[in-house]
Formats: sequence, C-alpha cells, structure tokens
Amino acid sequence: MCLVGPNGAGKTTLLKLVATLLRPSGGDARLLGHSLRDEPDEVRKRTGLLTVRGFLYDDLTAAENLHFTMRMADLRPDRDTIGRVLERIGLAEVADNRMRTFSTGMRKRLALGQLLVRPIEVALLDEPYAGLDSQGMRLVDEVVGEFKASGTTVLLASHQDGEAVRLAERTGILRKGHLEILPESETLSRHLSVGGPAGAPEVE
Amino acid sequence: MSVFRRAWAIVWKDLLIEARTKQSFNAMVFFAALVLFIFSFALGPDTELLRRVSGGLLWVGIAFTGILSLSRTYQNEETSGGLEGLRAYPGDVRAIYLGKLMGNIVLLLLVEAVLIPAAGILFQADLWPHALDLAVVSILGTIGFSLVGTFYAALTVNLRAREVMLPLLLFPALVPVLLGAVNATTLVLEGDPMSEAAVWLRVLASFDIIFFVICIWIFPIALEE
Amino acid sequence: MEPKTGVERILGAAALVTMLVGSAVGLFLVPQDAAQGNVQRLMYVHVPAAWLAFMAFFIVFVMSVLYLIQRDVRWDRVAAASAEIGVVFTALTLLLGMMWGKPTWGVWWTWDPRLTTTAILLAIYVGYLALRSFADDEEKRARWASIVGIIGFANVPIVYMSVTWWRTLHQPPSSPRSVAPEILWTLMLNLAAFTLVYAYLMVRRVRLARLEGELEKRMAYNA
Repeated sequence: MCLVGPNGAGKTTLLKLVATLLRPSGGDARLLGHSLRDEPDEVRKRTGLLTVRGFLYDDLTAAENLHFTMRMADLRPDRDTIGRVLERIGLAEVADNRMRTFSTGMRKRLALGQLLVRPIEVALLDEPYAGLDSQGMRLVDEVVGEFKASGTTVLLASHQDGEAVRLAERTGILRKGHLEILPESETLSRHLSVGGPAGAPEVE
Repeated sequence: MSVFRRAWAIVWKDLLIEARTKQSFNAMVFFAALVLFIFSFALGPDTELLRRVSGGLLWVGIAFTGILSLSRTYQNEETSGGLEGLRAYPGDVRAIYLGKLMGNIVLLLLVEAVLIPAAGILFQADLWPHALDLAVVSILGTIGFSLVGTFYAALTVNLRAREVMLPLLLFPALVPVLLGAVNATTLVLEGDPMSEAAVWLRVLASFDIIFFVICIWIFPIALEE
Repeated sequence: MEPKTGVERILGAAALVTMLVGSAVGLFLVPQDAAQGNVQRLMYVHVPAAWLAFMAFFIVFVMSVLYLIQRDVRWDRVAAASAEIGVVFTALTLLLGMMWGKPTWGVWWTWDPRLTTTAILLAIYVGYLALRSFADDEEKRARWASIVGIIGFANVPIVYMSVTWWRTLHQPPSSPRSVAPEILWTLMLNLAAFTLVYAYLMVRRVRLARLEGELEKRMAYNA
C-alpha cells in the first residue's frame, strides 16, 4: 500500500506509530493480530522500518552495520546472509569500508539492506526514493516487488513518483493528519495534478 | 537470555566505535589530568595536605570526567537516528540500558586505570601497596556512578539544556557514592587502622544493588515517547 | 483568581489561627532555654519546617508512584504542588538552621547529618522542578517528574545514612533527647500549624494546577 501526501501531512508519524516508536495518544490499532498499544514488542518483531536518515553507524563498516542489525534482532549473524544481502543491494565491493565514506545513495541502500537481513512480515518504507539515483530507485522497486511476491506487506510513504507508487495495490492520501484510503478500483494517477517538475508530481 | 545478548551487541558496537575513533577516551583522560593538575595548583605546594585530600580530589576528578562521557553515551546515536533506532528493534528496551551501562563502566574504569596512578604521582601518595583495595573501591564506585548516570543521561538526552540538567540531577543522587568512594579511598591510603573502610564499601555495594534494581525496572518508562 | 472555596477558607483560617497561637506560645509563653537562650526558640519553626519538607517529598514520592501506575495526570499535579511547597519549606529549614547555628555554635554551616541531608534534598527538589520546566507535553512532564521523584526519594534515606556514618564515625550526633513537656507541646502545636499551612497551600496550588492544565489543553486545540 502506498501512502502519499504533502510534506507535514503526517506520513512519517503514521509509519512510526505502526512501528510502535510513537505511542498513540488515543485509540489503538492492530497489526497482524497484535495491538500496537499493548503488544508493541510483537509488532516490532514483525515489522522493519526504513527511515529517511536510516539507523546506521558512521564508524562501522557496511558489513558490521548489518551484523549489528542481526544481533539486535536477536539473530545469529551469518556471514552468508550478510554477503548475499550486500550483493543484492550492490554494496558487495565496499562491504568493509566504513560508512563514513559512503554517499547518500549508498547509505540508503544499506538501510534497505537492514530490512533484508531480518525475516519481516511488514515493511515500512519512509521516502525510500529520496537521495537515490535511477539505479537505486530501480533497486527499491525491485525489492518492493520481491516483498510483494513473498507475501510481505509493504507500506510505502512517498511524495515522489516511482514504479512502486504506481504499482501499489492500494493507495492512501494523507492530508494534515487525515487519511483517505482510495477504493481498490482507483489508482493514484487520477489524483495527481499535471505540472511540477518531471518525476515529482504534486499532490493537493 | 535475549536481553543480555542484545545488551552485549550494544557494548560491542560502542566499544568498537570507541576503539576506532578514540573520541571519548582521549578527551576524558586529558580532561581528568587537567582537573587534577588544577587541584594541585589550587592547593599549593603543601604535600602533606595534598596527600590527605588526594582521595577526595581523585573522585571529584573522576566524577567530572564521568559526566563528560555520560552525556555522550547516547550522543553517538544522534547521527544514526537517535535512540529511535535502537528502540525500533524488537525485544526488551532494557537491553539498551544494560548495554550503555556496561559500556560506560568499562570506559570509565579504563580512564581510571590511567588516572589513579597519575594522581599518585601528582599528589605524592604511594599507591602501589594498596592497589587491590583501591581497585575494589574504584569498581564499586564506578558502577554506582554509571548506574544512575546512564539512567539520567537517557532521561535528559533530548533536552536543550542537557549539559546543565544532567549534573543538576545527577550530583545529589550520587552523594552516597561520592561519600563512600572518597572515604574508602582516603582510609585505604592512610592504611585504615580500624578497618573502617569496610563500612563504606558496604554503603557502596548497597547503593549499587538498590539502584541497579530501581533503574533497570523503571528504564522502559524513561524511554517512552 | 476565583474566590476561595469553602474548604480553602476553613483551612486557611485554621492555618492562620494555629500559626498565630503557635508563634505566640513559642515566642513568649514557653520559658527560655537555659543553655542557648532565646535563639533556641527558632527550633519551634525550624523543626516543623524540616518535618514538612520531608513530608512534602514523601507526598511527591507517593504521587509519583500513583501516577506511574494509573497514568492519571491529577496525581502528577499534586506531586508538583507538593514539590513547590516542599522547596519553600526546605529552604526555610536551611535558613532557620543557619540562623540558629551562628549564635549557638559560631558557624553559619555545620555538616550535621540532618542539615546536610536537607541541603541535598533541596538540590533534588530543584532538579525535579527544573526538569518539569523542560517538558511542554503534560504526559511527558508527568512521566519524567515521576521518575525523578521516585529515584530522588529513594535516595534520601541512603544519603541520610551515609552522611550520618560520615559524621558519627568521627563525632557523636549533637542534639540531646530529653525534652521538657511544655517544649514538646509547643513543638507539636507549631507542627500542627505548619501542617495546616501546607494543606492550605496544597489545596490552592492543586486547584491552580488544574486550571493551568485546562488552559494548556485549550491552547493546544486552538494551535
């Protein structure tokens, strides 16, 4: 499912709520049968969050960052898995370089990699296209496709256009904290206005 | 248990980063040495006086140095998404407290390993015969300091006036640790004719146990958003 | 501010009356202390102030625990009110202690265990109130404050024991235990007076806090 909306609409807040990083001030929601408010740990076990800045340490190498992610998810860090994921995200050659030397695009890929080293049922992606070149954007689209194929639910928030946005099965529009989910038959293109720089459609 | 494994992962990560950048360790050692130096100047050339108060001066030095590293405990998480990053992982958040706590204790003990001999030289106190006793006091005191310090550092991590609030909250809470450590150190250095140091060690140990339980218990509440 | 409620009027009146009576008795009716002279009369305000300072902090502790269990912000308001009033009583205790100490022992400050613990108590209170001022969100403020309130209070007995050991390993504690009955009565009277003052201030402060809370909420909606 794709979430679109202008800046400040609350897309990040919504994703963080689902990831149980924020406590709901009122009401509750259930994810995969578990309450966000009362069983946050169960929710966290099954969700992976990709944020704009990513949870990466500058002074560790790419491989070490993934190693840490696996340990924090209480998995035994397995060199094969890490190697495989690094291949997938195109960072295999720089595996032993410190993150400090990485470009924004490379960091974004590594952050994406963090979601791939863990078995998750729901992927929460916040602005996954930000800072990526066309190759990177294609990688995101491919990964989203792979998630879909393997049955992992993807909740993607973006104010940018991308293949995944267009391929989303459901779309939700978030405006000033109010969410409107479009019925299954409608696609996003109906709600996009013409204009704005190419590749960055404006949503009103 | 999962909590310990994840705490250990955090310690590993922090010590690895520290070993590579040596940010905190160097700054702490220099700062501590500077503090001790200034004390020597302030108290003048009276070596007898210096020797008598060396216990107190040492622990004041350790306390100030410790505060320096505490506020940075969670700071190296800043660039990596802040504490949020750690909280997004499944499992008990207490692993964060345990991990940061152990990291702080190790770092502070390493600094003390350099500082205490330096104090011995500056204050002309003969430390070697009491090395083992001093080590015990040092460990118990450092644990007490880090227990409350790591906890309050988490509480104040997002405050604008963190540099002021942390010492303000921390020092009244640390009075038993300071009293215990200073008195035990001074007694040990004087040769402890009446074995009074044991009383203070018990104070330190009780403080450590009580606050370990309290802080670990309450930590998740301190981290709630 | 709105006119006082019935409870507040009664409490206020009772507090005023007992304070006047207590002060009168303490200042004029009770005989002078043989050893220390008139200065000793400061005890009738110093000791109750100290009692109230600690009791106020105990209330902060209880309210903090209640808040963390029930998450009802009303408990936190009571805690904050108690802390504010407690700071005043603590500062008063220290001031009176110093005023008593100078003529009696010749020094402004002694490292007497109780005085020292009171000074540390003041520091803990101030830290508590300072931390509160940094949180805009009512819920976050209550949570932080409750944590500090609990840890701070848990520390007080340990601090007291440590300082007592520190002083008594080298010198015996100071004040004598045997007290003449009229002195005891006067003390009790003043203690009651101070307690009533505390209660009165609490009731008014909590009401004010409730109004402040409602104002905050309304401002948040309009924002």
